[in-house]
Amino acid sequence: MLRQAIGGQRGAVILGAFLLALHQATEALIPVLIGVMIDETELSSLLSWLGVLAGVYVVLSFSYRFGGRIAEGSAERAAHDLRLRVVRRVLHAGGGAEDGRLPGALTTIATEDVRRAGAVNLVVAVAAAGLSGLAVGTVVLLNTSLPLGLLVLLGTPALAWLGHLLAKPLERRSSTEQERAAHASGVAADLVAGLRVLKGIGAEQAAVERYRRTSRDSLAATMRAARAQALQNGLVLALTGLFVALVAYIGARLAQEGTISLGQLVSSVGLALFLMGPLHLLAWVNSELAQARASAARVAEVLAAPPAVAPGSTPAPSPVQGSVRLRGVRLGGLDGLDLEVRPGELLGVVAPDPAAASALLHCLGRSADPLGGVVELDGVDLTGVDPAALREAILVAAHDADLFEGTVLENLGAHTPAALAASGADEVIDSLPEGGQSLVGERGNSLSGGQRQRVALARALAADRPVLVLHEPTTAVDAVTEARIAAGLREARPGRTTILVTTSPALLAAADRVVLVDGGRVAADATHAELVHESDTYRTAVLA
Amino acid sequence: MSAPERHLLPVATPARTRSAVRELVRPHRRLAVYGFGVMVVATATGLATQPLLGWVIDLVAAGEGALLPPIALLVVVALAAGALTALGLAKVAQLGETVLAELREHFVARALTLPLEQVERAGSGDLTARVTADVSRVADAVRSALPELARSALTIVLTLGALALVDWRFFVAALIAVPVQVLTARWYVRHAVPLYAAQRTAAGAQQQQLLETIGGAPTVRAFLRHDEHLGRVENRSLAAVELTMRGLRLAMGFYSRLHIAEYAGLAAVLITGFLLVRNGQASIGEATAAALYFHSLFGPVNTALALLDDAQSATAALARLVGVTDLPLPAPAAHVEPSGEAAVEVRGLGHAYVTGRPVLHDVDLVVAGGERVALVGASGAGKTTLAKLIAGLHTPTGGKVAARGVGMVTQEVHVFAGPLAEDLRLAGPDATDDELRRALSLVGALDWAQALPDGLATVVGEGGHRLTPAQRQQLALARLILADPEVAVLDEATAEAGSAGARVLERAIDRASDGRTTLVVAHRLTQAASADRIVVMDGGRVVETGTHAELLTAGGRYAALWRAWSDGRS
Repeated sequence: MLRQAIGGQRGAVILGAFLLALHQATEALIPVLIGVMIDETELSSLLSWLGVLAGVYVVLSFSYRFGGRIAEGSAERAAHDLRLRVVRRVLHAGGGAEDGRLPGALTTIATEDVRRAGAVNLVVAVAAAGLSGLAVGTVVLLNTSLPLGLLVLLGTPALAWLGHLLAKPLERRSSTEQERAAHASGVAADLVAGLRVLKGIGAEQAAVERYRRTSRDSLAATMRAARAQALQNGLVLALTGLFVALVAYIGARLAQEGTISLGQLVSSVGLALFLMGPLHLLAWVNSELAQARASAARVAEVLAAPPAVAPGSTPAPSPVQGSVRLRGVRLGGLDGLDLEVRPGELLGVVAPDPAAASALLHCLGRSADPLGGVVELDGVDLTGVDPAALREAILVAAHDADLFEGTVLENLGAHTPAALAASGADEVIDSLPEGGQSLVGERGNSLSGGQRQRVALARALAADRPVLVLHEPTTAVDAVTEARIAAGLREARPGRTTILVTTSPALLAAADRVVLVDGGRVAADATHAELVHESDTYRTAVLA
Repeated sequence: MSAPERHLLPVATPARTRSAVRELVRPHRRLAVYGFGVMVVATATGLATQPLLGWVIDLVAAGEGALLPPIALLVVVALAAGALTALGLAKVAQLGETVLAELREHFVARALTLPLEQVERAGSGDLTARVTADVSRVADAVRSALPELARSALTIVLTLGALALVDWRFFVAALIAVPVQVLTARWYVRHAVPLYAAQRTAAGAQQQQLLETIGGAPTVRAFLRHDEHLGRVENRSLAAVELTMRGLRLAMGFYSRLHIAEYAGLAAVLITGFLLVRNGQASIGEATAAALYFHSLFGPVNTALALLDDAQSATAALARLVGVTDLPLPAPAAHVEPSGEAAVEVRGLGHAYVTGRPVLHDVDLVVAGGERVALVGASGAGKTTLAKLIAGLHTPTGGKVAARGVGMVTQEVHVFAGPLAEDLRLAGPDATDDELRRALSLVGALDWAQALPDGLATVVGEGGHRLTPAQRQQLALARLILADPEVAVLDEATAEAGSAGARVLERAIDRASDGRTTLVVAHRLTQAASADRIVVMDGGRVVETGTHAELLTAGGRYAALWRAWSDGRS
C-alpha cells in the first residue's frame, strides 16, 4: 500500500528527497563556516568566506523552499488519490465496504488515514534529508579529529536514543490523555446536539454538572501528561547541555595539544548541537512510518473488503416486463418465501417481523443475496446480474433513504410533475421560500421529517424504474397527505410494477393485492378489505 | 434558503477578548507569576552556556590549562537549566490547562442555557462548531503554540540582551536582521490568516461531503448516483489539496525570506567580531559567544514567527467562545401560574419564527389539570409550534402562556453518549437504580435495557451501542417519567418508529403520561380519538375543539380527516 502511494509520485518523491537532502547538507556547513571565519585574521579572506556563506545560503534557501513544496505536494496528491479509491470502493455497486464500519469511522479513514498513508512520500524525503545532514556532519568532524568525530558520532545517537527512551512511556500515556480530552469535547458536542431534548425536560443544569465532572476528569488527566512532558523536556535539555560540556572539554584538550585549531573547536561544538537536528528528523521519520503503516493497513482493509454480493455477468432483461418471482427464499426473517408479482401490479406486502421486511428488501435490491432459493426478474436469476445493471431495472427505496446537500430539484434528479404531485412533494415545494431551488441542507436537515419523506418518495417515483419497491414511504406524513399519496400512486406508475412494503392501511387499501408474510412465508394473499375481515394477524399488524 | 435570516451568535471584540483572558487568569495570578518567573530564570540560566564556551575558547587561545572552572560551570548550567525548565513548563501548563478547563466549563454552561430560538436562528452548526472546533483550537494553542511562543520570545529577548552584555556592538549588528523579520512576519500573517481560514472551511466541506456520501452510500447505489458523488468528493478534495498547496507555497516563501535575514545578521555579527578582535576590543572567545548566540537565535525566531498565525487563529476562536459566554442571561421568564383549576392557560398567542411570517395567530387554549388534549392538523398547521411555546422552549412573539411545570418529549430523539443510566440521570440526577428500572419498565424498555451487554451501564449513543428508533423513543419517555413534570407535552413521539412499533410506543406514552395533564401532538388519529378533548388546527389557528364524538357529528375538518384515515381501515 505504502509502496503504491510512493509509486504514483515517484519522480516528485525523488526530486523532493534530493532537494531536502541538499538543504540539510548546507545547514551542516553553516557552523563549519562560522568556525572558519572566527579563525580568520585577514579582512579580504573573511569577505570571500562571507561570499561563500552567501552562496551556501542561496542553495540552502532554494533547496528547502522547493524541496519542501515538492515533497509535501506529492504527499497531498497521494492522499487525494487514496481518498478517491476509498470512496470508489465504498460506493461500488457490490457494497460490502461498510459492513462492520460506522460512517464516521469510514470518514476518518478517508480523511485522517489516507493523509497519514500519503504522508509517507514526505517521510521518505525527510529521511533522505536527515541522513544527508548526518553524513555531512560526520565527514567534517572525522576530518577535523578522529577522537572528537567519534565522540560526537557515537554521542549524538546515544543522546537521541535516550530522549526516545524517555519519550516512549510518555507517548503511550499521551494517547490515552488525548482520548480523555477528546472525550470532554465529545461530551460537549453531544449535549449541544441534544439541546432540545435537554430543554424539553428541564435538564440543562444536570447536563452542565455532568459536563463539569467530565471536564475536571479530563483536566486531571492532561495535567499528569503535561507534568511528564515538562520533565522529559527538562531532562533532554540537561542531557544536551552535559554533552556540549563534554565535547567542549575534549575539543579544548585537543586544541591545547595543537591537534585542532581554535576554529575547528568552534565548528565541532556547533556541529555537535547541529547534529541533534537531523537525529530528531530521523526519530520523526520513525514514528511517522509506524503511523503510516497502521493507517495504510486500515485503508487497505477497506479497499480489499469483499463485496456483499458477487458481481454477475448475465445482462439484465431488456426491455423489462416487470414480473418478479421469489422461490423458496431464505435470508434473515425469510424462511422459504414464495412470492409472485405480476407485471404492472401494485402489490402490498405486510411483514410484521421487521427482519423479514428488511431481508425481502435486501434480496430485491441485491444488497444481499438469499442463502437459499431464487429471486427472478422476468425469469432471470438476479444473482447472475451485475448489481449496477440490476438497479437500472429495480429500485428499492429504503424507509430511511438519505437526501443530499443541494436543491430539492437536484435531489429529485429529474423534474417530473407527476412524481411531485403523487408524492405530495409539490406542497413541500410550494411551502419553501425558493420553491424547487431551495437548498435542503446536509442530508436534507433543513426540511422537516415529513417534508424529507415526501421529497424522497418523489425522487423514487421520478427515477421511473420498471420495478419500484417502496418501504414505509409515509410514516412521517400526516393522514390527509397519506390518503392523497395512496390515491395517486397507481397513476404515477402506469403499467409498471410497484411493491409496497408497509403496514399503513391507507396505502394497502390502494394496492391491487396484499400478501401477509408471517413466519418467513406468505401466510395470506388477498385484497386489503378481505384480509381485514379474514385475518387476525393482519388486523393486529395493520390496524393499531 | 434561510440564509438571510441567519443571525450567527456574537463574537467578542479583541479588547473584550483580552479582558476576558485577564479575568480568567486573575484568580491564578500567583501561579502565573511563579510559572513565568521560573521560565525567565531557566532561560537566562541556559544562556550562560555561550559565554562559558567563549571562556573555554579564550583559555585555549591564551594557552592556559585550567579548563575545569568553565567546564564545571557548563555542567552546573546544564543541570540547573534542565531542572528549572521542567519546573517552569509544568507550572505554565498547570496554569494553561486550569484556565482552559474553566473557560470550556463556562462556555458549555452558557451554551446550554441559551434560549433555543437564538441557537436556531444561528443554525445549530454554529454552536456545535464553537463547542468542538473552537474549543480544541484554543486548547491546542494553550498546550503547544503559546508555551512554544512564550519560550521562543523569552529566548529571543534574553539572547539579544546577552548579546548586548558581551558587547553592545554585537547587539547593534544583530538588529540588522530585525527589519526583514518584521516585514516578513507581517506579510506572512496578512496572507496566512485568511488562507488558513479558507483551508479549514475547505477541510470542513470535504469532511461533510465524505460523511454524506459514505453515510448515504446505500441511497447512492440504489439511485445509481455513483459518478455524481465521486465527482463531488473529488472536487472538494481537490479544493482542499489546492488550498494546502497554496499554504505550503506561502510558508516556504516565508522561510526563504527569513533565510535572508539570517544571513544578513550572521554576516554583520561575524564582521563585527572580526573588527573588534582585530582592534583588541573583544577576545576571540567573546566573538565566538556572539556568533553562537546569533546562530542559536535561528530556531526560536523561526518558531515564534511561524506560530504567529496559530496564535492569531486561536485568538479568533477564543473571541467566538467569549462572545457566547458574555451573552446576558435572559431575564427568567416571569413564571405565570395559570389561574384556577387550569394546568395550562394560553391567551391570544401568536408566534413568528421569521418576522412577517407568523405561524400562529391568536390562539386561546385552557387545559384543565389531569385533562388529556390532542392537537390535530396537517403538517405545517402550527401544532409543534404551539406545543413548544407551551413547554417554554420558545418565547412567543405575542400573547401569553401560563403553565404548571412542563416537560416535553420533542420530535428530536437524541441518545446522550455514555452509559444508559447516565442518560436517564440527566432527567433525574438523584434517581436510584431502582427508580431508573421502574421508569424503564413503565415504558416497556426494561427487558431490552437489561439485555444490553453491560445492562444499564452499557455505553449508548454516538460511538456506543446503537439503539433502534423505537428504543430511543422509549428512552425519551423514561426520561419524562424521571423528570416527573405536572404537564407532559408529547410531540409526534410515534411518528418515526414506523407503524409496526407504534402500538408499543402508544402504550408507553399512556404510562408515561399517566397522572399528568397531557398535551399530545397527534400523528396517528387513534391517539386523538382516545383523548378527552381534541383541538384541530389549521393555518396557525384553532379551528375546532371538542371530543371525538362531538367533532364527528359536527362534520367539520376533523370529521374529514377521520374519514380519510378510517377509509383506509374499513
